[in-house]
Amino acid sequence: MIDITLKVNGSEQACRVDGMTTLLTVLREQLLLTGSKRGCDYGICGACSVLADGRLARSCLLLAADCEDRAITTIEGVAEPDRLTDLQQALVDAGAVQCGFCTPGIVLALEALLDVDPKPDETAVRTALGGNLCRCSGYGAIVDAALKVAHG
Amino acid sequence: MVGFHKPATLAEALALLADEDARPLSGGQTLVPMLNQGVVQPSLIVSLGRLRELRGITRLAGGAVRIGAMATHAEIATSTLFEAGQTLMPRTAVQIADPAVRAAGTIGGSCAFGDPTADWPVTLCACGALIELASAAGRREVPATDFFQHYLQTELQTGELVTAVTIPPLAGRGVYRKFARVYGDNATVSVAVILDVDVDVAVEAGRCRFVRLAVGSVGPRPIRLTAVEDSLVGRMLDAAAAEAAGAALAADADPLDDLRGSAAYKRRILPRLVQRTLLEGINP
Amino acid sequence: MAEFETVGQSVPRLAGAEKVSGRVAYLDDIQRAGLLHGALLLSPHPHARIRRIDTTAARAAPGVRCVLTGADFPHRYGGFVRDEVVLAHERVRYAGEPVAAIAAATLEQARQATALIEVDYEELDAVTDVDAALAPGAVRVHEDFERYGRRNIAPLPPNVCAHTLLSEGDADAAFAGCDVVIEGEFRTPAQVHAYLEPCSALAEVEAGGKITVWSACQSVFRVQATLSEVLGMPMSRIRAIATPVGGSFGGKSDVTVQPLAAMMALRTRRPVKLVLTRHEEFLMMRTRHPARIRIRTGAMRDGTLVARSVHLTLDGGAYTEDSPAVLGFALLMARGPYRIAHLRCEGLAVYTHRLRAAGFRGYGNPQVSFAGESQIDDIAARLGMDPVELRLKNCVVAGDTWVGGQRIEAAGLRECLMAVRDAAARRPTVEVRPGYRRGIGFSAVAHICGILSTSAIVRVLEDGSVTLNTGAVDLGEGAETVLAQICAETLKLPLDRINVAPADTDGSPYNWSTGGSRTTYMVGRAVAQATVDARDKLLTHAGQMLECSATDLELRSGGRVGLVGVPGMEVSFHAISQRAHWVAGGPVIAHAAVMFEGGGFDPKRTLLSGNGIGRLGAFIFGAQAFEVEIDEATGQAAVTRAWSAHDVGRAINPAGVNGQIIGGVVQGIGYALYEELVQEGGASTNPNLADYKVPGAMDVPRIVPIIVEHPEPSGPFGAKGVGEPPIIGVAPAIGNAIRALTGVRLCTLPFSPQRVLDALEPPA
Repeated sequence: MIDITLKVNGSEQACRVDGMTTLLTVLREQLLLTGSKRGCDYGICGACSVLADGRLARSCLLLAADCEDRAITTIEGVAEPDRLTDLQQALVDAGAVQCGFCTPGIVLALEALLDVDPKPDETAVRTALGGNLCRCSGYGAIVDAALKVAHG
Repeated sequence: MVGFHKPATLAEALALLADEDARPLSGGQTLVPMLNQGVVQPSLIVSLGRLRELRGITRLAGGAVRIGAMATHAEIATSTLFEAGQTLMPRTAVQIADPAVRAAGTIGGSCAFGDPTADWPVTLCACGALIELASAAGRREVPATDFFQHYLQTELQTGELVTAVTIPPLAGRGVYRKFARVYGDNATVSVAVILDVDVDVAVEAGRCRFVRLAVGSVGPRPIRLTAVEDSLVGRMLDAAAAEAAGAALAADADPLDDLRGSAAYKRRILPRLVQRTLLEGINP
Repeated sequence: MAEFETVGQSVPRLAGAEKVSGRVAYLDDIQRAGLLHGALLLSPHPHARIRRIDTTAARAAPGVRCVLTGADFPHRYGGFVRDEVVLAHERVRYAGEPVAAIAAATLEQARQATALIEVDYEELDAVTDVDAALAPGAVRVHEDFERYGRRNIAPLPPNVCAHTLLSEGDADAAFAGCDVVIEGEFRTPAQVHAYLEPCSALAEVEAGGKITVWSACQSVFRVQATLSEVLGMPMSRIRAIATPVGGSFGGKSDVTVQPLAAMMALRTRRPVKLVLTRHEEFLMMRTRHPARIRIRTGAMRDGTLVARSVHLTLDGGAYTEDSPAVLGFALLMARGPYRIAHLRCEGLAVYTHRLRAAGFRGYGNPQVSFAGESQIDDIAARLGMDPVELRLKNCVVAGDTWVGGQRIEAAGLRECLMAVRDAAARRPTVEVRPGYRRGIGFSAVAHICGILSTSAIVRVLEDGSVTLNTGAVDLGEGAETVLAQICAETLKLPLDRINVAPADTDGSPYNWSTGGSRTTYMVGRAVAQATVDARDKLLTHAGQMLECSATDLELRSGGRVGLVGVPGMEVSFHAISQRAHWVAGGPVIAHAAVMFEGGGFDPKRTLLSGNGIGRLGAFIFGAQAFEVEIDEATGQAAVTRAWSAHDVGRAINPAGVNGQIIGGVVQGIGYALYEELVQEGGASTNPNLADYKVPGAMDVPRIVPIIVEHPEPSGPFGAKGVGEPPIIGVAPAIGNAIRALTGVRLCTLPFSPQRVLDALEPPA
């Protein structure tokens, strides 16, 4: 076992991991940040998405021990406490949240997009969502919410 | 219990990787799913994350572009250092999987895995890229066409790492066309073309000055037939010539019957996709 | 002024803010002190005898607290056929069937210990498809079938777990008189639910021995009842609670891992959590029934549909579960939403050595509609008629009857058909690239939303706000928001004064299940009735307080009751409830119980034999149109535009309805174009999300939902359901577009590029 220090949502966290412990496991089980979800452990569904140094990443594919030099942002760290970002509010308002299991990953994918491209068109939004599966919504309202935030 | 090291130097990393139960970690997009599923059970994981010499994309004197093994697909997709025919590289990168995979996955990791249905093998063969390998014993360069040997089999020996990929100067422009079941899937059939033509818009054709043509996912390794390429140079490249080139490649193809389609189906569509990609090279 | 305050408004989903910020606790997010973690060992063989199972080494492994095998679960269970076991005992019947379960201090320890279990299998011949299972002399999946308890005890052929025959009129004679008769055979694959949240349960035993099981499920009552059977404990000692569910679509309507978690908790007296990996999901959980549909439709030259016969064979997998219900429902819907007088629908559910098939959004209707709605277009083509015109000519309207004689009270089907036809016709022209072609296909959909029973309790709290208890579960479809809206509207309370309590057998009144498109209609009726009763009680109390007759009183917005015509004379719910609690009358508590009593089969009209069909009804209708683009070089088909119109009676929450429509259509696109769990010899070749493809945002266009409202007299505010219809007509409409573009009727799903290319360029 290895002792590591992770920077998560702006604070330093001491954790104890094995070489193959994923960041997702550490977030959920040691840091009790359960907003990142385990949907497949295969890197396909995107429900585990986080930001690593501001870039969208799959926490189920990051080895925790390899993340000491990265700033990790989870869904819990996306907005100020007890507040929602404009995008989060837009998702709620657009009816884009159904079962909600994919939603944290979707929020991170779209926040990562809007950070780099504040006025994406529909193709750019859908491309940004290319690694996030949603089985409930058919993506329509999610895309609407992102476009609303981008273009008003 | 799996150990973890993140060495500061390439020499250190190579020393650790001499043990065949050790695995190198680059972007993790292939290794970690295998760890999660219990498909591989290494005793040691060696992260390459601190090795600066494996990072970066640089344009060399003479116009070649050297890509560090740890360069991500996203970095390649957005790099402005690729010129003319080398644009096949960013055009390929942007079609790999999805944004999160592109942000983390590396060209070195992709090469080392050697999946012929992935995007880099076919493109690197079309480019005539050189794959640079390093081990404790030294360095060597292997042409991409020799590096990718069979399904998940490459030239890599135990204790060797891919350290860089070099793209030679290439004329014309690059086109990568990937036919897949859904967005982000690995290719059912892929076509990588580099083409320099004197375009004659009136006849929707062009006299070919330079061409590279490789097809992927239709056999254990990408298929590139220099005889076909040679036969196209100096000729008017129109729809018929393009399809004939595709048919020649299809004759050499040995695709699998799998979830993406039967072997017969893939052989059937291959010439059409080659034709379409070549025509796109003439007339974007 | 709006007619309603909240009904008809797209109010934001309850718990939406929590979901969007990652603060909702799904089952796997729950922690407990002393929690043990479960792991499973699955059978690698589709059919084998377990000669010996040795758990000695596993028991001794670090952290292990218990190891269970089939011997620990002596009771078989099953609603229709008591053939099911929690862990395989002596015999495994599908590759992926669990044979052992371990609870240990950490998940790692539990998983490592499963590798230490030694199982000595004797492999047996397996029947891995329906034809093999029905062949004479085939190996029997359940040798003791005749000895199992069964709801319907009529004799059945070997490897058949259900048979149903439904007929009206005289189809054979009627076909002879038809101008046109078309025959076809259609096949549909195993579609995986692929909800994002894997099946999971957490079980905990109290000191007194009562067991509580939290789980992602569609019915806490089904969990409770099944656990009672499996554990041999009375229901009063079992509490089942539903955590917010991360998607279900029918895959969590039966028990999944609750019995395993429960038994491990009972053994260890520690809380135990069991969460399936995605790989285990693919191997061990369920799929839609693969089906073969032989269908014949007869019509007259003028387009009148006269007769239809259907023979349906469902591959039910290794255990019966709900296959008889899926079979019966499919046959009930096989006529399609048309006035067809002569009908013969017969079907079998067959045992195979494959993973189980279960309810999945549509419940057999997608399979028969794929066949039926494809054939309607074939009839239209043969007659030279427009396919929408043919449907309009024959489609049912309010006042018509369904199979069995049930009257259709409201039917907006004509309007739905015209809406999608007109929307498609008005679509802006787009230049189609050379080498591609585009065309439109249509379908009509009918389904039901009235089934079985439910109830609701409305309690006015001391401060005048309200707690609403129902057995509805939050699966993501928005049920709890709609139910809150019904309650709030009826009491003229703001929505935030309604507390919708989560489903919990200790506190919730019975609801059969959240599914079957029934929550808005059935649970909504119960909520409406109970709320009306609560309102009446409030008025009665207010009348006493204001010293007047309750009939002179009215509800006023914001939780007040006042004297009609006298604005100043009023009392608040708060005051009423305080008086009720402390002075006179007792707390205001109202309840309602509702059973769907429509449906049924008039024996003078309908012959129904075999496993039968339950009382189902409250019909819901829709129509769909898809613009499909085919790449002529590869055969790849893509949906470029889509319109889906649904008569929902009244849209209580339009955004919620739209979400169901778009989501259902996209699942249907997956079913039509690329979803298929592929098996060879009983082993799945694509048991992961990389190889089993589910549509992503780049694979589907904007879906245009169209809401049609023909109020259902028996529905709450006229509302009825919408959960399932959007998936049902997608495959045939796409198939109809492909037929229009290629001249070929594709009869097998999915419409892979290879199949479409063969249609474009028929092999010599």
